[in-house]
This record gives sequence, C-alpha cells and structure tokens, in this order.
Amino acid sequence: MKEQLEALQTQALSDFSLATDAQKLEVLRQHYLGRKGTLTQILKGLGSLPHDERRTIGALANQMKETFSDAIEERKRELLDQASLLQHPMDLTIPGKGITKGGLHPTTQMCYDLNDAFRSLNFDIYNEDEISSEHYAFDVLNFPPGHPARETMDTYWISGTENLSGKERLCLRPHLTGASVRYLQQHGAPARFVYPGPVFRNENTDAQHERAFYQYEALIVDRDFSFSSGLLLVETILECVFGRDIPVRMRTGFFPFVEPGFEIDMRCQICDGKGCPACHGTGWVEVMPGGSPHPNVLRAAGLDPDIWSGFYINIGLDRLVMMRYGVNDVRLFHSADLRFLEQFK
Amino acid sequence: MKVSLNWIREYVDLPEDLSSEKLAYELTMRTVEVEDVTNPADLVHGIVVGRILKILPHPNAEKLHVCHVDCGLDKTKQIVCGGINLYDGQVVAVAPPGAEVMWHGEGEPVVLKATKLRGVLSEGMICSSSEINLEDLFPMTEEAEILDLTSLFPDAKPGVTLAELLELDDVILEIDNKSMTNRPDLWGHYGIARELAAIFDGKLRPLPEFTPPEDVPAYPVEILDPDRCDRYDATLFEGVMPEKAPFWMQRAIWSVGMRPHNVLVDITNYVMLALGQPLHGFDQDHVEDGIRVRTAHQDETLELLDESVLHLSENDLLICDGHDKPIGLAGVMGGARDSILPETTNMLLEIAHFDAQTIRKTVMRHHLRTEASNRFEKAIDTQRCDQALGLAQYLMATLQPGARIAAYGSARTGQTETLTVDVPLEFLCVRSGSDLSAEDVRDTLESLGFEVKIHHRSSDDIKLQVTVPTWRATGDVSMRDDILEEVCRMIGYHHIKYQPPVITLNEPVRQLRLDRLRAMKEYLAFRADLQEIFTYPWVSDTFLKAAGGDDALISESYVKLATPPAPDRSRLRHSLIPVLLEAVVNNLRYYDSFGLFNTETVFLPCKDDKSSSASQDNGMPEQRKHLGIALVGDDAVALFLKLKGILEDLPRFSGVEPFRLIEDKEQPPWADRHAWMAITDLNDNVMGTMGLLAPKALSLAGIKQGIVALAELNLDYLVPLPSRENQFKALPYFPLVEQDLSMVVDREVTWGDIEEAIGKSVRKLEFIEEYHGAQVPDGKKSLMFRFWLGSDEGTMTPDQIEKARSRVIKKLTYTLGAKMR
Repeated sequence: MKEQLEALQTQALSDFSLATDAQKLEVLRQHYLGRKGTLTQILKGLGSLPHDERRTIGALANQMKETFSDAIEERKRELLDQASLLQHPMDLTIPGKGITKGGLHPTTQMCYDLNDAFRSLNFDIYNEDEISSEHYAFDVLNFPPGHPARETMDTYWISGTENLSGKERLCLRPHLTGASVRYLQQHGAPARFVYPGPVFRNENTDAQHERAFYQYEALIVDRDFSFSSGLLLVETILECVFGRDIPVRMRTGFFPFVEPGFEIDMRCQICDGKGCPACHGTGWVEVMPGGSPHPNVLRAAGLDPDIWSGFYINIGLDRLVMMRYGVNDVRLFHSADLRFLEQFK
Repeated sequence: MKVSLNWIREYVDLPEDLSSEKLAYELTMRTVEVEDVTNPADLVHGIVVGRILKILPHPNAEKLHVCHVDCGLDKTKQIVCGGINLYDGQVVAVAPPGAEVMWHGEGEPVVLKATKLRGVLSEGMICSSSEINLEDLFPMTEEAEILDLTSLFPDAKPGVTLAELLELDDVILEIDNKSMTNRPDLWGHYGIARELAAIFDGKLRPLPEFTPPEDVPAYPVEILDPDRCDRYDATLFEGVMPEKAPFWMQRAIWSVGMRPHNVLVDITNYVMLALGQPLHGFDQDHVEDGIRVRTAHQDETLELLDESVLHLSENDLLICDGHDKPIGLAGVMGGARDSILPETTNMLLEIAHFDAQTIRKTVMRHHLRTEASNRFEKAIDTQRCDQALGLAQYLMATLQPGARIAAYGSARTGQTETLTVDVPLEFLCVRSGSDLSAEDVRDTLESLGFEVKIHHRSSDDIKLQVTVPTWRATGDVSMRDDILEEVCRMIGYHHIKYQPPVITLNEPVRQLRLDRLRAMKEYLAFRADLQEIFTYPWVSDTFLKAAGGDDALISESYVKLATPPAPDRSRLRHSLIPVLLEAVVNNLRYYDSFGLFNTETVFLPCKDDKSSSASQDNGMPEQRKHLGIALVGDDAVALFLKLKGILEDLPRFSGVEPFRLIEDKEQPPWADRHAWMAITDLNDNVMGTMGLLAPKALSLAGIKQGIVALAELNLDYLVPLPSRENQFKALPYFPLVEQDLSMVVDREVTWGDIEEAIGKSVRKLEFIEEYHGAQVPDGKKSLMFRFWLGSDEGTMTPDQIEKARSRVIKKLTYTLGAKMR
C-alpha cells in the first residue's frame, strides 16, 4: 500500500509539473484530489485496512494531499509568472496608435506663449479690428502726409474710400501700431498691454514676403519710463520664445512713431549666422523694431508727453516662428497646407 | 546706396587697421544698416597684367591669333586670342589657368584651364572687360574687343595683379536705403564720413569753399514758385570738353554702382555721390536766355530722353529756359534735349534746392525714380548747394582747366535755418536710464556737428542748449526726444543696461472672453482633432460662387479692396465657408479625410452712416469674429454626426453658455437640403449653421471625391461663463439596470420623438443606431437604443424591471406606433 502511494505521488508531482496551463492543472486536481479522485478514493478505502496500517497510511495520505495542493498552487504561480496575453511575441517596432492629428497653428502657439509670458507680467491683451483707417494707421502715428514711410507699407485700401482721407479712408491695417493709440484713448495711462493680430501689405510675395502676416506688439506707458527698463519687453520675448541665449543686436532704427527708435536683429536660426536667403546673406534677421512712443503719438492718444513716456516693441510673429522652427518660406503660414501645419504639435 | 571706404578716407582719417567687419558693425549699430560688404578687387581676382610681345597667325583658324605675352614670369606665355584690337606692346588683362572668368561676359563664372585651341596650346586668356566684370568701367564698342590698358597705363609692369594696377582694393558698404529715409545728410559720402568721424573719433576735413564768381555777367534765373523751390544757382561754363574723366574719378563712380560717361557728367555725379546734393548739367545751346523755375500747367507735356512724353499737372515743378520752354522736370530728370553731348562746348550747371514733398509726389505720380529724386525727396538743406558749388567749382577748375565761368546767377527765396532745442540733462538721464554727464553729451553731439551750450542752473538742474546743424534741421531733428536718440545711438543701444521698471499693480488682469476663446480653440485642436488654419481675407470668386450659389457675386454684401492682389480676389470674406472650401480643395490633393477650423474675421459693409464718435472711424464695415469648421471624409452621415458632436460639446469644454442645434427654415445656399441645422443661443438668436456641403456646391468647388461637412458660428454670440458651471449629481444609491431595445417605427419618426416620449420616465437614454435593411419593411426604420432604470427605494426586482420595461414599450407603441423588432 505504501509503495502504491509513493508511486502515486511520483506520478502526480510529475503530472503537475508538466501541466501547461491553469485548466489542465484543474483537471489534474480533480483527477487526484477531487471527490472521485485517486487520492480521495484511497482515503475512503482506509476503513478496510488494519488499525495500525490505517494510521500510518492515513497520515501519509493526508500529507500527500497537502503536498499535492501545494504542488498545484506552486505550479499555478509558476505558470502565471510565465503567462502572456499573446500566443506569439508581437512586433514591437509597429508604431503606436496616434492620439489626435489636430493642432493649433504654429503662429497661434507662439502668440499664446507670448500672451502667457506677458500675462504673468500683468499685461492686458487687446484686439483691434482688422479694417482700420488712414487716421489710425498713419495720421496718429506721426507719419507726416506724403512722408516716404507711408509708402514703405503698401496698404490695401478699401474700395470706395481710397480717395478719401483720415478716418474715412479705410484699409486693411498695414501694421498693429494704430491699435496702441485706440487702447490708450480708451484706457488712458499708465498702461501695459500687448496686441497681436494679422496685418496686410500690398506687395509682391516670395519666400520672405507675404501679403498677410502676423505681428505682435507690446507697449508700456508710465511716468518717466526709461529706455533701459523697456528692455524688459525684449528679454521677456526672447526668453519665452527660445528659452536659450540667442545672439541679438540692438541697433538704431527709424520708425516715425518712435523716438528714439531701434531695431533688434537676431542671429539667423536657419543658417546659424552663416548667411542664407532667409537673412539675405547677412546672418542677421530683423525681428523686433521698437522704441519710445513719439511725443506726437502720445498726444494723439490723449497723453501729455511731458508726463508719460513708454516703450514699444513690435514683433514680426511669422518671422519669429520661422526662426524658432527653421521654416524657410513665409507663405506656408497662410497656405492652410496640412502637410506643413501638422508638423507643429 | 553704396559707399566706398577709399572715398570716405578723403574726408576723414580712420584707423588704418579698421576691419571692414568692425566698420560695418559700428555703422549698423549706430547709424544705418549695412547690408553687405564687398571689395571690387575680388571681381578681378587672379587676373594679372600682361604685355603682348609678339602676335602670330593661328595655323588652323583665321580669326584667332597666337600671342606671346609677358606676364612677369621667367617664360612668356603663349595665349590663343580672337581679339580684333591686338597689337605688339599692348598692355592687357590676362587670366592665367586657375582664374575665374565669364565666357563672353555671360553666365556663371568658369575656372580657366590651359588647353589646346584648334591644335595650339593656350596658357590662359586675354580678357575683354565683360569677361572680368569690368564692362561698366571699360565699356566695349565691339563684341571681340579685348581690354586695352595701354593708354591708361603705358608703363604697367607685367605680372602685377590687375586689381593692384587699377587700385581696386576698397571696402564697398551696401547700405539699406530704407534705414536712412529720415537722414538726407547721409545720401553722400561726406555725410557717412561725418558719422564715422564721430564713431571712431576722427576729424572731418573741410570741403573746398565756394567763392561766388566775380566779374562775370549775371545769369538770369527766376523762381516763380517760391513754395517749391528755395534756391537755384546756374553757372555757365564755356569751353568745356566732354572727354573722359581721369581714371580715379571713373573708378570712384563705378565702385559705388554708377557708370562713368564723360568728365562733365561724371563731375555732376561725383559731387552728388560725395555730398548728396544732385546737380544737373544742361548743354547751354539748348537753354535759351536764362532759367525759370515754375509750376507746370495743367495738361502741359514734357518729352524725356527716352522719347516718352509726360503729362504734367499743377503739382509738378518745371525747369524752363528764358523763353519758358520746359527743359527738365525739377529734381527728377532732364528733358529730351538737355544732355551733355560729345559736341557740347558750353555747359549750364544747375545746383538747386527743391521742396521734398513736391519731388516725392511727382515721382509717385509718374513712376519715375532717379538718383536725384531719391535725394531731393528726403529734404536737403539749402546750404548743401554751397557745398556742391564749392566742390564742383574745384573739380571743374582742376579737370577742365580750359573751361571758364562765363556767367553765374543765383535766385534764393528761402533758406534752411538752424534750430535750437533746450534739453534738461535730467531728461536725457531718466529717459535713457543711464547716468550721463553734460560734458559727455556735449562732446557726443558736437562730434556730429551740433553746437551745445551747457547752462548750470544748479547742481542737479543742468540744461543743454543744442543748436541743430542745417543738414539735420529739415525735419529730422527738432525736439528733445530727437536729441535723446542722438545720444542713445552714439552710446550704442547695446551698451544700455537693463533696469527693472518700477510699476504699480492695481488689479489682476481678467479677460474672460479671451480665455474662453482660447479654451475653445484648444478644445477644437486637441479634443476634436481639428487643425487650425489661417486664410487670406480676400476670397476667390470661384469659392464665393461655390458657397453662395449663382448669385453670390451679384450681391453688394461685400467689402472690396481698391487694388486687390488678383482681379478675382477683390472681395473680402463675409463668411468663412468660401475660404474653408478653398482650404479643403487644396488639401484634398494630399489627404482624403481631415478636419480644419479657423477663427477669423468676416467683413460686412457698413449698414448705416451713424455719426462717428471720437475714437471710431467713419463708415466702418461690420467686423465679426467667426468660427469655421470643415470635416472631410467619405461617409455623409458619419461626418454630419461627428460635426454635430463637436458642436454639442463645444460650449461645455469652452466654458461658454450652451447653444442649441435646431431644424430651421432659412437654408444656407451651400448646405445639403436634407442635412443642415441652425445653431441658436438660448434666446433663439441664430448664431450659425452647420451641415453637409450640397452636391451642387461640391461640384462648383471642383470637389470630385469626398464629402464635406461645414459649420460656421458667430463668436460674438458666445457668452463666457464666469466660472466652471458643472453640477454634481449624487451617484445612484441602488444599482441601475441597463436595457436595450430595438423598435421599428415609421421613417418620419425621429430620435427626438423617442426622447420626448420616454426620456423623462427612464434614468438615462442613449441612442445606439438606426437601421434600414432587409428585415425592416419599406417606409419603416429600426431604432436601437439603451436606457437605464432605477429606484430610490431599493435594488429593482426582476418583476419591477419587467413592469418598467413594458411601460416604456407601451408608451412608444401608443405614441409613435412603434413595434418591437
């Protein structure tokens, strides 16, 4: 009887270790330990054995029952450790399932980045309508009538008003600066605000020139505001857009609405200063003109230039986006071409 | 404008070791933008001087010669040449193997190699001027004429570089004209020299003084339009010789981009390039009895050199002779018969001052732009005439010793005055943000020609009395802010240190509307999977017609451009649908399924002529911000439902008041008649539409493959919620029971009807699908949906569930005639 039991144990433990899944293991459990299982049958047959033998065999059989259960559990754990959901290893190089293809226009992204930075400095964000007038586009900005600078911004005049003047001569705004006067007229000084948006110029297009493009302007007006404090705007923008040191140079520049006026050039990020079509071979790209509002502009805004002064900065947003990503053709921004736009997540 | 450093050095001593980079950098930082720096010597790099020793005929080619040329080497070079003007002893330009030349003066430069030409070895090339970029300096009269340097340089040493012989080594600065529209003083070398003197601490040399000619008859000059002409000086030179100018003058003019002509014309150009004051030389034989400067008559005409005829108006200023015959358009160009010709013996030299605006308007009106008008339109001071007279007089005396001044006349009706500007030192310090001393400011300004008097009223009240020189006083510098700029730029903006501003904070910036619009755009991009696009405000007529139907262009409901970018794009968008359609068509070339959105302005003509308030512009068109969405795919119903879903979730994700999608009557012209809805706010104002693009519109837009769903929404109607408005609903205490049903109903029955019938009697109701097919009879459809039942008293028993379910079915059968499928 004992030998019989030992042989059974050897067989059972071997069976368990060969079981390849939980289901087979369960079948084996039934086979050995189930109500009609082999071991159960043996235990049931104990009564017919002599007393002495009954005790030893009984003890042995109970121990075996425990051993079997442990072995089954042990094998179960083993199988779980090795388990996989897949029958075969999968091709891990297959690309992951993309989440969404949608996105904001790269210029909008840049605009939001700048908005966030200026909001953190307590600036308002202001939007002006896109059709403005000669009055706000030129007259209030110290462009004298017939001044050459009026022609540097070839303007789209609205049909039917092109031969009128001042507030009646309407145009798609050629720049944003007129919005600053509107804001100051409405809100007075001191003032800190930015005003982004599209502007329009009637000119021939090429990789560097567009008829519709985005600008971003910021203006601080305060008492005795100094040029050196105005550099805050410059730093904020560069830090926020690039987050790293970009060589820049601030040089003298002429714009009728500022006095003094400057131009900020940045190292061309497309060629890294070596010279390319994007920077006309100079290695530098004009990105931010600006300066102190001309006294005539402050007067037009209803402010006394003896009290108030300030600092403008005007960013060619498209140009900055081009520099940020190395885009070499400004016309792509208004192309609505998904092959281009989808690149900017 | 091009500026030659060699020329500049005539007027100012600059450090000998000044690099061209440093020069360009400092000038750019402080004065004007230098766009490019070049050296004319580079044009003839590698070209050497040779002397022809012997010319033999070519054995195999009639038109070629075999020349033995001394190029300063041990051995003479044998060069095959087809030149027609070769002779023994001739000094020529030789391109040795390895040098770059332009074949026949055309195309890209090629590197020369020693090679056999028709069987004879040629060790280089004897060049024509066009082959080495010098055609403007040495014009060719015939195609095969080689550059003959013998008469200019009879003693030239063979072997020296051509650049050395011609003294071409120079630094040419290309200055961006746009960066000096406000600086009439910089349009000549002397003005740039003045800036460089100030920057590099050099001393500006004086120019030859003008001494009015004595003992000569007065030349009659009359200014009839004193508003437009302040001064006119006419000097009559007799016995002039229009020969070639000395080489140094030709080279100077050529190096900055003009062509040498003859000494008389060259002197006028040289003086203009030196001083920025244009001059004009007339052949005296064409000018009868004096000069009259007068306004043109309406409809008067003037024939120009190129035989074109200008139709003038009273806005133009004319130069006429004593008989009132027009001989030139003042400040722009001369007439057909005024020029200096080879046979000219008497020259009348004009040096004048014209009103800048007049010149500018004339230029604009007639589309004539000349070197002279470019300078006059910037507003030159009248004193510049004296400088030009002085230099011209000096050059004529030196270069045309045989000529004599036969008459001189000067009419003056006004002159540029100096200005005085009082500037407190405190103003300069506060506004620049730098500590400045009165003495430093004075020195800086005086180096630029300003005069400065320092008045110490007290230790912290110092006033500078600044006198602005006439060359800066024609509009450029007139107030203390201009002086601030002069000081700042000479310090260098890049040297001004940042100082944190002191500001007052009053309240946080709270701009709800902007925040909500941004949330909306982020929802559309990141949740709804749409790509934002920008479009042009001017719309193509094709897409206006596609979106608006046949009559789209007849209507007057557009704002139009006076000079549109293209004839078929004169109308500004009054809706985003046409521009979206164009974007869809363009992208269909590469994609067959995609989604776009834009938030851009639409323009509608001004409805009424309300009198404008102070800050408003008159007759301003209505400008609204719209949202446009386009979805493209191949399943009409799926696209419609996707678009509907995007719109339904938009308010909640954007934090704006909800809006409704309803079936309405006014169908937009682009929409499919079975698949469009109106979008209304809670007050039933229609704020937009959505739907499928109708087949006709698809066809008009040229879309052959693909279905388009479109939506347009007036964003002005969106009402931002002041905060997040979600409401918490307690979770059900007892579990809900989920039930699915398929009911067959008449086709006309809508999901909306089902919702209305049972929506209130279940905890939640969800649409699953609509089915038409073999098992469903004609005129019927099957609707499958899911609903949830529940009780607040306890878990529902199977019995209760069954009762509730039958109530739902009964209700549907009773109200809508629905049958279980």
